[in-house]
Amino acid sequence: MINEKIGNALRIFGRIIINVALWLLSITCIFPIVWMIYSSLKTQREFAVDIISLPQKPAFSNYVQAITEGNLGTYFMNSVYYTVISVLIAVLLSFVIGYILSRFKFRGRTFVYYFFLAGMLIPIYALLIPIFLEFKAFGLLNKRITLILPYIAFALPVGVFLVESYVKAIPWEMEEAACMDGCKFGQTMSRIILPMCQPVLSTTAILSFLNTWNEFPLALVLIRSNRLKTMPLGVTNFVGTYTVNYPLMFAALSISALPVIIVYLLFYSKVMNGMVSGAVKG
Amino acid sequence: MASSYLQPRTSKIFAILLPGILVYLLCCFVPLLFAFFYSFFNWNGGGEKEFIGLGNYAQLLTDRMFWDAFVNNIVFIIWTVIGQIGIALIIAMLLLSKYVKCKTFHRTVLFFPVVLSAVVVGFLWRIIYNKDYGFLNLFLTFIGKEEWIKPWLDDPNIVITSLAIPKIWQYIGYYLVILLAAINSIDMSILDSAEIDGAVGWKKTVYIVMPLIRNTLIVTVMLCISGNMKTFDQIYVMTGGGPGTSSMVVAIYAYQVSMERMDYGYGSCVAIGILVLSLLLILLSRVAGKGRKSDD
Repeated sequence: MINEKIGNALRIFGRIIINVALWLLSITCIFPIVWMIYSSLKTQREFAVDIISLPQKPAFSNYVQAITEGNLGTYFMNSVYYTVISVLIAVLLSFVIGYILSRFKFRGRTFVYYFFLAGMLIPIYALLIPIFLEFKAFGLLNKRITLILPYIAFALPVGVFLVESYVKAIPWEMEEAACMDGCKFGQTMSRIILPMCQPVLSTTAILSFLNTWNEFPLALVLIRSNRLKTMPLGVTNFVGTYTVNYPLMFAALSISALPVIIVYLLFYSKVMNGMVSGAVKG
Repeated sequence: MASSYLQPRTSKIFAILLPGILVYLLCCFVPLLFAFFYSFFNWNGGGEKEFIGLGNYAQLLTDRMFWDAFVNNIVFIIWTVIGQIGIALIIAMLLLSKYVKCKTFHRTVLFFPVVLSAVVVGFLWRIIYNKDYGFLNLFLTFIGKEEWIKPWLDDPNIVITSLAIPKIWQYIGYYLVILLAAINSIDMSILDSAEIDGAVGWKKTVYIVMPLIRNTLIVTVMLCISGNMKTFDQIYVMTGGGPGTSSMVVAIYAYQVSMERMDYGYGSCVAIGILVLSLLLILLSRVAGKGRKSDD
């Protein structure tokens, strides 16, 4: 009897410990981000006095200063431009290539398939300097289109394979029925299959959005002009020059993290599943 | 596969595939050809290229700096394999417990840092490590361990560890979600009968769960390797490879050789070296993973 009671108490205690441990882990994990965001609303003096306390009265002056002095508005718009264009094209190309690879047998199919598969094995970071040298030779450095090309290319392998395996699960009768109803190949692809692929295409879009928005090394070596720099580059320059004004740094960092935070909060389960399926396939 | 009457002609198929293939060639394969070609030259960006055969490769083999940087990459890999996969596995096992509340919440919160850019994470942790305004030192003072306070990013002996921690912090959630997906696909009756046979706690993890998700574990190790060989952004913003060259990694080294010393020939050779080494490491982890499989 008594043993049973002690056993029960221990078990309940164990359950509480597990829950508390997980809460502590989660809080540790999220606190730096929360700290960054609320500290960006403090004045420099307030931060110097107490680095942990909440802002007494939220001050948006850091944001104003970061945008006006740091030129972060331009960098933000540049990043939006690069991201929107490369995501749209990458999704479109992934769909077309993935669809064709999954549906048709043709001479060279296996080659094209492994060609894209190889891209998942080639470590992209080893390409940093080679791409720079190639673009230098082709006169492609420091242009509006410069970053778009690699951003599309790097999004393709994962996108192609996500689409390819998704289309496989769509019954072939879809196309047959469309054909009976008089649809041409292009119409079948764009009117019938494309809408059905919406879930996998949105996953592809989210993944390439995150990668493109956060990309830093390629932008660093391929872009020189201030007019064309991306958000991560701009933030690096800006934060480097204001090494003592921490709330201002936090404001700049928060601006650059804002889009990914919003996307994550809106689509967190899609982001998690997408990143995992993209990774495990590779 | 489709029946043939619905299939467009091969020429049409290739016309549709062409734009994607071109962009992909241009950014993933042609650069390698360029780098391979340039790696046989002594070239400082000017008009003159001097063919030196395997000279750059000979230099690379004896380049202390490059191999020290590579060792740093390996240390990062070891740290993050232990830190990320180890901690993620522990959390995954905790989340498996029937008595844990708010599982989705924990998972979502733990995954949050994954979506941030390495630049943001790097700067954020630079401030966390700051000696006056970082909350790490404040926390150590608070728990009465002031003697643990160190110049986190300025001491060459600990800088690698200090740089590995943000990396571990950022990606635990990523590996957690991968491992959870694998664990959830295990037949629950196996786990239940294991528990009846007395395999609980760490025993259940090591003897039952880990062998069952071995393939996923191999994938995560490979992800750790490739994730760490590409380490660039975070170190670039946190230490720039310093103090001195104590936190140099291969990607930063390739960048410095090519972009700061303008030594394009040797820089290309370093890039090829990185490519070969990372493919070797990935191959090695695959073979190691498969090797264990044939033993049991």
